Amino acid sequence: MDSDRGRRSTLRGPTGNPGPLAEAAEPNGVTVTSTTTAFWNPKTETLPKDQLRALQLHRLQRLVAHAYENSPFHRRLYDAAKVGPDSIKTLDDIRRLPFMTREDWMACQAEKPIFGDLITRPQSDAIRYHLTSGTSGRQPLRVLDSRKDWSWITDMWCYGFWGFGVRPSDTVFFAFSYGSFIGFWGAHYCCEKLGCLTLASGNMTTEQRVKQIVEMGVTVVCATPTYALRMGQAAEKMGIDLKKEGKVRRVIVSGEPAGSIPAVKSMIEDMWGGKCGDTAGMTEIGTIMIFECDHQPGGPHIIEDHFIEEVLDPETDEPQAYGDSGERVVTSFGRGFIPLIRYRTKDLVRKVPHDTCDCGRTGDIFEGGILGRVDDMKLIRGTNVYPRAVEAVVREHSEVEEFQIIVSRKDNVQDEISVKVELKPDQQDVWPRLSAQLGKDLADAHEGLRFNVELANQGELPRFELKAKRLQDLRPQH
Amino acid sequence: MTNDTKDLLGNDLSADERELLELYQRTLTLSRRDDLPPVATANVKQAMVLLWNACNDLAIDCGVPDCD
Repeated sequence: MDSDRGRRSTLRGPTGNPGPLAEAAEPNGVTVTSTTTAFWNPKTETLPKDQLRALQLHRLQRLVAHAYENSPFHRRLYDAAKVGPDSIKTLDDIRRLPFMTREDWMACQAEKPIFGDLITRPQSDAIRYHLTSGTSGRQPLRVLDSRKDWSWITDMWCYGFWGFGVRPSDTVFFAFSYGSFIGFWGAHYCCEKLGCLTLASGNMTTEQRVKQIVEMGVTVVCATPTYALRMGQAAEKMGIDLKKEGKVRRVIVSGEPAGSIPAVKSMIEDMWGGKCGDTAGMTEIGTIMIFECDHQPGGPHIIEDHFIEEVLDPETDEPQAYGDSGERVVTSFGRGFIPLIRYRTKDLVRKVPHDTCDCGRTGDIFEGGILGRVDDMKLIRGTNVYPRAVEAVVREHSEVEEFQIIVSRKDNVQDEISVKVELKPDQQDVWPRLSAQLGKDLADAHEGLRFNVELANQGELPRFELKAKRLQDLRPQH
Repeated sequence: MTNDTKDLLGNDLSADERELLELYQRTLTLSRRDDLPPVATANVKQAMVLLWNACNDLAIDCGVPDCD
């Protein structure tokens, strides 16, 4: 083994080899030991686009062949569409493949309980089982993962955590319930893989979590954006100044579109004293497919060596140009148990070129993160309203602690939209001014649509740990 | 089928990449033996999976994802 000492790496990357260990000063006075590379995988994260496309094509061909051979669901789908592994000659040929939808997946689970015929291996080959969170309602999707799948899942989180500056010297805290929802499970294992001290907090109250974050000198906190704010508010009530008493230098959020709303990020950064970075994933993939790098370019990079992310017009299914919003359709190369090919996510996104960011990654960016859901949109008196857009306006006002959006129908005729606002305890005096300003700001952001702005009592509105559900549509459903 | 000399982009494997692939292949073979005690099989499988992960990320040809 001594013969390996001093040997130089021959793994390719923009910097040749990772370089010597270096120390860097960070927010909240933390010193971080780091290699000089900013990339988890320098070789493929910085590939020129033509080579990246060649890699995607190779992986797509192999994935389609694997799915066709081993998943009856995919064979049926492709036979019906008269396509198969030989149909994929170029990357554009992906458009010859039929879409896969959540409804298809649920139907196959119902027909052949409990996993359907989508899976490529017997249940006994799996080591993990998870469910979707139920945010989109209906029957949850059930997923299985093999050893390799799970290792790949944790590795995708490593792309994101390393890219946002997490290093082995960090102490990472997960404000997460550790149940059947996949959530931050993969991220927890990612941090163990990185060599971080990794703290789980499944059964703790919010106050206990805040206390442990301070006591343990936690440097990275992971939570939903909503819950990161909630912990910050709890700390204030406990008389703890997280900026002074804590050592948090990174807050990594996931699970809600709010993670890329500038006002929300700014609030989180003000509370915690560290940088806030957004990630997004889904149970259907098992992990994240986008992450915000340390340069914070206004949206997360796509991990393009492991995913193809199409952005399509939801009406015509035609590809959208850079800068135009559309529906995310994802193909994932990593999960062998459940091939996910051209899956319609109903997420609304807007792709911009990778060089919008100067970090050196060649994965394109979803500007503003996940903008909402294609089916989240509410039509109120002829105006489109997205919950995320309402949140972006409300969070501009730091006096607001919590809010809720209520859509109703007056006299069975006119649709109304109300925003109920709960103020921070010491901000009650601002209500007359704030309510008028909020009403104006919401109307300005929605083509003049009138919003009813109402004051809620302290503690009246629901709080959330996982994905927040702040919109209630009380209109009769047909 | 895997390719022991070139990566998925057609580049020659570097010395380190060849070593990673070789280690993966050796642990894969070992993990498939049925005469080893559970302590060896289970831990070798874990090692094999992590090596597969490194090879796969580096675009080294090491088969489809789901074959443990």
